Amino acid sequence: MAKQLHEIRDPIHVFVRLDTDERKVLDSRPFQRLRHIHQLALSYLVYPAATHRRFEHSLGVMELAGRVFDVVTHKDAVREEVRRALPEIANEDALRYWRRVLRMAALCHDMGHLPFSHAAEKELLPSDWNHERLTREIILSDEMKIIWESMTPPVRPLDVVKLAVGPREAKDLTFSTWEDILAEIIVGNSFGVDRMDYLLRDSHHAGVAYGKFDHFRLIDTLRILPTAPSGPDQPPPEPALGVEDGGIHSAEALLLARYFMYSQVYFHPIRRIYDIHLKDFLSAWLLGAKFATDLEKHLRTTDNEVSAALWEAAHDPTKPGHADAQRIVGHQHFKVLYQRRPDDVAKNPEAGQVVFEAAKSEFGTENVRHDRYTQKGSAHIFPVLTKDERIAYSVQVSETLQRLPVVDVDYVFVHPERLGDAERWLRARHDSLIQRTGEAI
Amino acid sequence: MDRLQRGAILIALADALRRQGSWCGETHLQKATYFLQHLMEVPLEYDFILYKHGPFSFDLRDELTALQSDQLLELRPQPIPYGPSLLPTAASVEFRERYPRTLGTHQRSVDFVARKLGDKGVSELERLATALYVTRQMTDADAEARARRINELKPHVSLDEARQAVASVDRLKEEAASLS
Repeated sequence: MAKQLHEIRDPIHVFVRLDTDERKVLDSRPFQRLRHIHQLALSYLVYPAATHRRFEHSLGVMELAGRVFDVVTHKDAVREEVRRALPEIANEDALRYWRRVLRMAALCHDMGHLPFSHAAEKELLPSDWNHERLTREIILSDEMKIIWESMTPPVRPLDVVKLAVGPREAKDLTFSTWEDILAEIIVGNSFGVDRMDYLLRDSHHAGVAYGKFDHFRLIDTLRILPTAPSGPDQPPPEPALGVEDGGIHSAEALLLARYFMYSQVYFHPIRRIYDIHLKDFLSAWLLGAKFATDLEKHLRTTDNEVSAALWEAAHDPTKPGHADAQRIVGHQHFKVLYQRRPDDVAKNPEAGQVVFEAAKSEFGTENVRHDRYTQKGSAHIFPVLTKDERIAYSVQVSETLQRLPVVDVDYVFVHPERLGDAERWLRARHDSLIQRTGEAI
Repeated sequence: MDRLQRGAILIALADALRRQGSWCGETHLQKATYFLQHLMEVPLEYDFILYKHGPFSFDLRDELTALQSDQLLELRPQPIPYGPSLLPTAASVEFRERYPRTLGTHQRSVDFVARKLGDKGVSELERLATALYVTRQMTDADAEARARRINELKPHVSLDEARQAVASVDRLKEEAASLS
């Protein structure tokens, strides 16, 4: 008899298991492509071992999604008001179906990534496109529909789309409360398993300890909880993903891991400037300065083609993008001239933009780059079930979460040969440049 | 309008809501901003979808997070079981003073929204904001059809509550029109 359950070795979760139906998705062309997309783009130029791919990350997200689903839908973990609000929880067939959909959405959630993952997709795709939209198109493609229909029971592709990209990226679709919670299990700001897996996996491969947290304890204490009232009147019960009191320290550890990984790895200034050099190279190399949104072309383009082109362009001055390719291949990246400081923010929250504009005028557009990012969402507010069975908000029971800073990055980079001049230039006019911003009357 | 101009308006709104006795949690700010953008036509350009507790904007949520990073808004926990408030910081007073043209143009709209919604709780705000959302979607529909649609979208809102919400929104639209 043919094997029905397949195990894959994994450095984070030991084994990732999937059945024969699920394996069809694993073996599909769009999923296999993820073997050739680096999870952390060019971060391996800073953290040499961070060469892992979206492929193993997606497997890990599927594994964790299944675990979280089993915990939060276990009959002993579901409160009566949640059972009333989510009838799917008491229906065995519905649970089986949605567990499959959740795991498949988790497996497919990154299929739309461009080569080198997140690097500048806003600039390198036509407007209204991003990797989530490409993911959606792939899930709904004829190639994948054959697989969804062959499953037992058949899976509705639009259900997979909803859970894979979530309400933020599928604004045209209506989500039921149940679908919303399942999407939160994958892409949620606080406890999304996408984040859990990438923090654990990226820290493992980068060789840093910041991303580690007790995910076993955290997952065991996750619950679907009614949201606490936002004021003295009683709002309708809209359940959300929260945590039992006993898991609050693991939740703190996850959110601190997120903070440190963002500040130390994902927004490491050298990693960020390599992303910018790569974007500049791709703008020169790509036809029309954009990646194709045609699915066939998307599926045929991976990091391998880009890496080969980078290497060639670095060694041939006649190739488009030669200078940027040389910066990446020869480790001649731009250097940090300015980064966000709290005292500057008090005067002008967009201080980096001011320095960038002035530096461009002084040293030339070609010698200066700007990078700006502010954390999305409000990750650290979620319901907590207290020991006396009340629902509280996380910031009421955790002083750590009350004080957790928002990740905010504002860098200005300059050509390495101009760094000394630029530093002296900025020292001489820092205070006059960064003045209180505002409008004239 | 740039990010900091929008920030000045959001801070002015939070301040005005608070003065009207609002709890001023994120949900209150989300719904009040929806009215500011779509009833008062303040060009904030947030993308709203119908979500938990009615219209909701992920872009606006990001902006509120950014304003906390800028030291202009702060999260203030409230006693269990109530949700946290999002309040302007001391530094935000001086920041707002730097945007006299933006606030000069829109302060009246901010005050109107705060006056009308400041004393409302989350449940009522959900009903009213959903009624405005449906009214904007069903431009030719009568009050009864809109109320039925609200009840369909949010089954926990009874038909009677939906009818009242539609009537309130129609009155608010008239009042807002008479302001301009």
